[in-house]
This record gives sequence, structure tokens and C-alpha cells, in this order.
Amino acid sequence: MTLLRDLGRRKLRTSLTILGITIGIWALVVFGSMANKINALVAGGSEFYTGKVTVSAAGGQMGFGNPLSIDAADRVARLPGVGAVVPGVNMLLSDQMTGVSFGMPQMIEGQVAGADRGRETFTLHYASGRALTSADEGSNVAVLGSDLARQGDTRVSDTITLRGETFRVVGILEPTLTAPDGAAMIPLAAAQRLFVRSLPSLVSAKLDPATVVTGITIYPSPGTTAETVAAEIRAASPDLAVMTGADFDRQIGSATAILNSILVGIALISLAVGGLSVINTMAMSVAERTREIGIKRAIGGGRRRIVRELVTESAVIGFLGGAVGLALGAALVLVVNEAGRSSGTLLFQLTPGTALTAVAFSTVLGAVAGLVPALHAARLDPVAALRYE
Amino acid sequence: MAPTALLEGTNLRKTYRLGGHTTVDALRGVDVTIDQGEMVAIMGPSGSGKSTLMHILGLLHAPDPNHGPRPELRFDGRDMVSLGEGERTRIRARRMGFVFQDFNLVPTLTALENVMLACDYAGIRGAAARTAAREALDLVGLADRGDHRPTELSGGEQQRAAIARALVNRPSLVLADEPTGNLDSERSAEVLALLRRFNVEHGQTLVLVTHDEEVGAACDRVVRMRDGRVRDQAAAVIVRATEPAPRAVAAVA
Ligand SMILES: Nc1ncnc2c1ncn2[C@@H]1O[C@H](COP(=O)(O)OP(=O)(O)OP(=O)(O)O)[C@@H](O)[C@H]1O
Ligand SMILES: [Mg+2]
Repeated sequence: MTLLRDLGRRKLRTSLTILGITIGIWALVVFGSMANKINALVAGGSEFYTGKVTVSAAGGQMGFGNPLSIDAADRVARLPGVGAVVPGVNMLLSDQMTGVSFGMPQMIEGQVAGADRGRETFTLHYASGRALTSADEGSNVAVLGSDLARQGDTRVSDTITLRGETFRVVGILEPTLTAPDGAAMIPLAAAQRLFVRSLPSLVSAKLDPATVVTGITIYPSPGTTAETVAAEIRAASPDLAVMTGADFDRQIGSATAILNSILVGIALISLAVGGLSVINTMAMSVAERTREIGIKRAIGGGRRRIVRELVTESAVIGFLGGAVGLALGAALVLVVNEAGRSSGTLLFQLTPGTALTAVAFSTVLGAVAGLVPALHAARLDPVAALRYE
Repeated sequence: MAPTALLEGTNLRKTYRLGGHTTVDALRGVDVTIDQGEMVAIMGPSGSGKSTLMHILGLLHAPDPNHGPRPELRFDGRDMVSLGEGERTRIRARRMGFVFQDFNLVPTLTALENVMLACDYAGIRGAAARTAAREALDLVGLADRGDHRPTELSGGEQQRAAIARALVNRPSLVLADEPTGNLDSERSAEVLALLRRFNVEHGQTLVLVTHDEEVGAACDRVVRMRDGRVRDQAAAVIVRATEPAPRAVAAVA
């Protein structure tokens, strides 16, 4: 109570200080949420690529792009240590090359269901409907990722048009926070047909859709690592681009680490400024209350008690700044995500961890910033403090 | 009945160091004794070391460790010179009460909260502190001013609130540095009467630093200082609750 009165006594200055912290925490929340989203994408990707080897035609990018003959799958299948070979077609959902959007592009993915022989460790959960089965080959059915489904407000047994063909939706996935969220999964034969049709007619005329894929996923047999299998494939087929989880981490992980540190760095700089303003406010507040502190010390207020009171006060300033910053940051995250929802791109991910860290951090920052002026106040000679003008 | 000494100081010295080599010998070896139940005035010209002495007696400052005879300060028979700051603070909180010339009250707290603060420091909290603080305010005639902030009190009322705070823990010793210095003669008499009443009714030991000869005359004894020394320490004419001196009664009335 008295503490709030002490803060209320200097409304303008306290508010400005709280504002300083608010800006810092706001930046931490917003940039932190952005970093969270990126990390989730990367972690999802990393998880997705671990334990298997992804092969595409050399010159293609990350499993989509150039056509690959299905013969390659047979060649790879004969190598030692290969457990299961899953040929697949990955293509962009949209035939227009729109500007690069944040996050993962929306994809059409075609595979024969069950071809992985149960070796896939990246489990998908279904919000509604069912998974594709090998019996779906030959029919136009689809399972949609969560973002894709939400974007078109599509439900199970609705129909959806993919690259000019109509598909019936049989299942919708739970959010994974990574690639599958923006994917439409369809049977392999349908994907092959769509893919070949999307190629320039000169090329497509010579191709039998049933022999064309864009990538092959290879699961090592038990006792063999993905790295070993990748080395085998690289040696046997130099014409293939080979990628493992480790490659993914190397390529994407280091880039994200830099991005993350930039984002967090910006937030920390704003916080440092906020922290200095707390020190400044508390130092002024101590100077202003010198005589009061003298009175308290003279009538028997202990040093520790004086320190505790002042540190609590600055911790409250920090906490308030953190709470307001968190609220404003969360509001921005919500608004931007809501705006991005229609296009299926969620820019931010505000986790409870980030929220808690932000407020805890600002509170501790406030307390630490108040400590120096508080210690100074406690060391004052009570008599000198009483006479202070 | 021989009076028992509450506070005994010997060889008390204090030299203030200003910048450079300038020093001020504020106390040049003071011996002083305050008996239990006494109401003593410390008087003397400005700069003679009255406040300095009061700060040492009130454990706010330590006497200088002398080159010559060692300083001694006993409170209730216990040596105070060697105590650390924490223990001195505790004794100030529990055994002493202070009234200063001005800026006595914490401005953000109400009169009641100011009094309760002293209880808090002495380890008394909650309902007990509230009751004690209300009683103390009642005794100084501020029962209906408990919720006022210092800025909402007159000078005399502020000083009475400060007295309530100094008395609330029933301390062994109340030290007051020019408690009436900022008050007109009427308010000054009021405050003085109040202090005298506590002295008479409860045997409260009081040390008052003052310029005012009238205040001095209202006390049992006057310690006169000049140039950092005690010039005259008149023998006590102790006013006991059982046999109030006519002069003291007059002051109360
Ligand atoms: N903090 C200090 N630093 C330096 N000199 C001081 C300090 N405090 C007091 N003095 C000096 O010590 C001497 C005694 O001061 P003190 O305050 O004890 O006087 P006093 O008798 O209380 O005077 P007054 O009646 O004016 O209050 C004075 O000469 C004063 O200038
Ligand atoms: Mg003085």
C-alpha cells in the first residue's frame, strides 16, 4: 500500500520509467515470438529430416522442382542398409509464383500411404477424419494441413481444388507448427499426374506420369544410420542431391541462430535502456527521499529493511513495465497473426515460456537496477540524511 | 533513594573533518550522566556541540576513538561504544524515541502510520501496533488526526505526532533536538507540557536540546555547553511522579 503511494507520489517519472521497461519488454515479446516461430519451423524441419535421407534430382531445391525418374528409387533400394524407399511428389500448391512468403510454402505432397513400412517417426495427428491409405491410390482424396484447412474453412468431406482437379477432403491434421501445416497430402498417382501436367508441354509430352517423382525418402534399416546410407547414395549416384537431418541443421540451423541472436539482441538493447532508466529513477527517488530515509534510520529502521523497501519498489516498477509490455506485445502478436490467418501465415508464436520470461526478467531487472541506489541509501549517515537539503 | 544512571558518557569527543585539513572539534571531551526518570535540557550557544552530543547519546553517531582517554558510553549499564550498526539500530528502535526540530514525519504516511512505523521497527505489528499507535495519538491529543498526512497537519500537530511516535514503544529514553524550535510560544508550551506530563506520569527519561531558556527552566536540570565542553551540569532537582514540583505542574496546566 505505502509502496504504491510512494510510486504514485511521482506519477510522471514512474510512468516514464515503466514506459521504458514496457518498450524493452514489448520488443522482447514481439521479437521473441518471432524467434519462437522460426525455431518451431526449424525444429519441426529438423525433426522431419532426422533418421532418414531425402533424395532429389541434383539442381532441385529441397525436394521439389526437377523431375526424377522413379528408376532412381529402384537403384537406391538395392544399396546396403536401406530399409524402406518412398518415392514421392512434392510441388507448390499454387501455380503462380507469388512473392516469397514468410514461413514454409504451401505444398502438394503425394506418396503411397504406408510405403515407409512404419519407419516414419514424424507422427501426424488428425484433428478430424482419417489418414490416407494405400487403398486411396487412384482416387482424388486429400488430407489437409491445419493452416490450409483453416484458410479455406475446409472440413472433412468438403471438396477442394488443387491445380485444377477436385479432391475430396478425408482428413485434417492437427497443427505441427511446421511444413505439414501448409500441405495437401494426396495419393501418389494423383500427384504425379498434377506434377507432369504442370511441366512445360514439351517436357511433359515425353513423360509417363507413373514414372516421374520429385523426391525419394529413404529410411535406413535398423542398425544403420541415415548418415551411412546418405554416403552410400552419394557414392553410387552422383546425379542425386542427398540430404539428411544433419545437413538440414547445418544449412538452416546456423542461419536461424544468427537471426535469433539479432532479434534477441535488439530486445536486450531496449531492455538495457529500460534498466538504466530504472536505475536513474531509483537514484533520483533515493536522493529525493534522503531525509525520509534519515528519519527511518534514526527511529530504528534497519539497513536491510531500507534496501528491501527500495528494491521492492523498483521490482514493482519492473514488473509493471513487464506486464504492460507483455500485454502490448501479445496484442500485436494476436492482431498480426489474426490478419495473417486468412493467408495461412502465422508470423508469431507467443509461448507461455516467452511471456513468463519477459515478466520475470523485467521484474528482476527492476530489482537489480534498484539495488545500487538502495545500498547507497542504506549506507547514508542518518544524521547527515536528516539534514540533507 | 539514590538515582540510577540510565546513560553515562565519559571522554566523549567528536571531530568533524571537512575537505582538506580543516577539522571542527565539535566535542572536546564531554562527561555527562542522565539519570533514570530525569528531564534534562542541554543548552548552549549555537555551534557549541549540543546536537552532536545528542547524536552520540542517541547512538546515531559513535564518539571518536580518542588518542588519550578512551571514550565510554553506557546505556543501562551496557557498553555502547563497541556495538555494531545493526545492534545500535535495534536499540534505537526498541529503547529510544526521537523527536527532531523539523522533518520528523514520513510524508507519504498518515500520522497513524508514522506512529505505527516505530512499532514496526520495534517488532510490534498488526492489531497490537494499531492499538498502541491510536493510544499514543490519543495521549498527544491527535486522536482525530490519525488519517492526516503530515502536510495536512499544523506544525504543532506534526510535532505532537512525532512525540507520539517517540513514545509509542514506551522507550527508556526520549531524545529531542529542539522539539519546539519551529513553534510559536503557545505551541511550544503545549508540546513542553506534554513531554513533562509523560515524565511525571510515567517516569519517562527525557533529554531535550534547546535554545529556549523557558524550556530549560521547565526541566529538572540543565546541562550547559560551550565550545564542545560541558560548562555546567547543575545537580538534578528531580521531579518525581509522587511529589510533582510546583513549576512542573504549572507547565502542564
Ligand atoms: N556534519 C558536520 N560536518 C562538519 N562540521 C559539523 C557537522 N555537524 C556539526 N558541525 C560543526 O560542529 C559544531 C557543533 O555542531 P552542533 O550541531 O553540535 O551544534 P549545536 O550546538 O547543535 O548548534 P545549534 O544550536 O546551532 O544547533 C559546529 O561548529 C558545527 O559547525
Ligand atoms: Mg543543533
